[in-house]
Amino acid sequence: MKTRLAAAILLLTATPALAHRLDEYLEATLVSVEKTRMRAEITLTPGVAVYPIVLADIDTDADGIISETEQRAYAGRVLRDLSLTIDGRPLRLQLLSKRFPTIEEMKGGLGQIQIEFSADLLFGGATRRLIFENHHQSRIAAYQVNCLVPRDPDIRIVAQNRNYSQSLYQLEYLQAGVQSNSLFLASWSGDRVWLGVVALLLFARFAFLWRQRARNPVSY
Amino acid sequence: MRVNHTAGMSTLVLFSLCAAMAQPATSRIVSAANAFLSTLDQKQRQSVLFAFDDATQRTRWSNLPVKMVPRAGLSMGELTAAQRSAAMALVSSALSRRGFEKVRQIVDADETLKHNEGNNPMFGEDLYYISILGTPSAKEPWMLQFGGHHLALNITIAGERGVLTPTLTGAQPALYTVNGKTVRPLGEESDKAFALLNALDETQRKQAILSYRLADLVLGPGRDGKTILPEGLKASAMNDRQRAMLLDVISEWANIVHESAAAARMDELKAEINETWFAWSGPTTVTPGRNIAAYYRIQGPHLVIEYAPQTLGGDPSMHVHTMYRDPTNDYGRKLAAK
Repeated sequence: MKTRLAAAILLLTATPALAHRLDEYLEATLVSVEKTRMRAEITLTPGVAVYPIVLADIDTDADGIISETEQRAYAGRVLRDLSLTIDGRPLRLQLLSKRFPTIEEMKGGLGQIQIEFSADLLFGGATRRLIFENHHQSRIAAYQVNCLVPRDPDIRIVAQNRNYSQSLYQLEYLQAGVQSNSLFLASWSGDRVWLGVVALLLFARFAFLWRQRARNPVSY
Repeated sequence: MRVNHTAGMSTLVLFSLCAAMAQPATSRIVSAANAFLSTLDQKQRQSVLFAFDDATQRTRWSNLPVKMVPRAGLSMGELTAAQRSAAMALVSSALSRRGFEKVRQIVDADETLKHNEGNNPMFGEDLYYISILGTPSAKEPWMLQFGGHHLALNITIAGERGVLTPTLTGAQPALYTVNGKTVRPLGEESDKAFALLNALDETQRKQAILSYRLADLVLGPGRDGKTILPEGLKASAMNDRQRAMLLDVISEWANIVHESAAAARMDELKAEINETWFAWSGPTTVTPGRNIAAYYRIQGPHLVIEYAPQTLGGDPSMHVHTMYRDPTNDYGRKLAAK
């Protein structure tokens, strides 16, 4: 497989260098952070020299058409190749949207696949650490990842760190209005607090009645 | 080669530009727009005119050749010599002298690329498009667009104000010769940034130089209105000389537009210089007389500049894309809202 990949790239890069992306699969991610969730869009642009590799991964029945099922399946595979954690806890990625170019556009090196996804952020303290990893098509990928300036003024980015290839991205931020070590209580707010209180009172009442019944059994 | 022909046209346009310099900028541009429109027939006028709020046309630009990403409007190739001359006079009226020269050099680079690629029909000066959004007016906002491969000028004119964001410039080849003279359309962008990098001390360089690779523009076509977190060295940690050098790099984009709009823009950017960041990724050396092979970004509250050499199978110093944005004022939306 490795030899085949190298041969394909060599063959296609032997053509004159024109205006299009050639032997890389540009995977550019823009991340935005909110208090309760993160959203991201990843734009994947296969170069003309590597598009056959990418296309083979998308058009799995090789009929020359990227069907809705194949689009969904590929978007799912991309998401599975991504990893996201918040404060060390893994997050489940949800596909929001996907857009695929035509095969002709991909052949020309200008086809862009766009995948939008989100993840609910588990409740945490005032200091948060989000780690994003991208391992999709790592042998041909050129990764890029950036964070948009948060719209929420309560969120302040403290640091961004990446490895050289940008396959690993770490974001540290502060979140105002959140107390540390209040993980449980933080998840209970508004109506949910009252519902919880009512449930606790009902539970106590039933427990009390059950104990009374146990002490004074009814005989028939 | 066609480059000689375009040099003659540049002189002609420059002459009409000088003659019109006495007029205030906006009336000069409006006159040039009306003069251009008067050379067109009804069908051509329909092709070149768009509604001011036509969001599709606004964003119909790219670094890629027009055969890959089609543009709308009128291409230079479908105009007569007189119409073409009027079109270029309009473009030059909205730009500074150096700005127009840069545009000519980018177009000439594409003509050179066409020649180098065996007369490849994908490239060349005939494939640059002009369009007008709205009605040319000295008071009401309207837009002039000019672009093709490696060029996208989006100029919003609102009264005496002129906004050039978003604008894409690029060059391939980034170095070529015309009549024995070496031309580097984006040479100053490269040289000035490299000089700034070398003017930094070790501590500053450590902050400015990013530890990761950047393969392309982050906020290229299709990324309107997005603001990423700034990185690198903040200008508040520079000395006066270094800050002046940074402003000089910025001026290579801010001064493309006509002089009075450029002066207003430079005043705005100078006032925010301490909030402006400079980041570098890639080689920190350069072959004398050539462009850098490194990426750099300059980012402030109302500014994003990216310089991104392209590793598209060749020498990255010979193929450059750059982006100039004000994420808060793409297509002059702040001016148009007033």
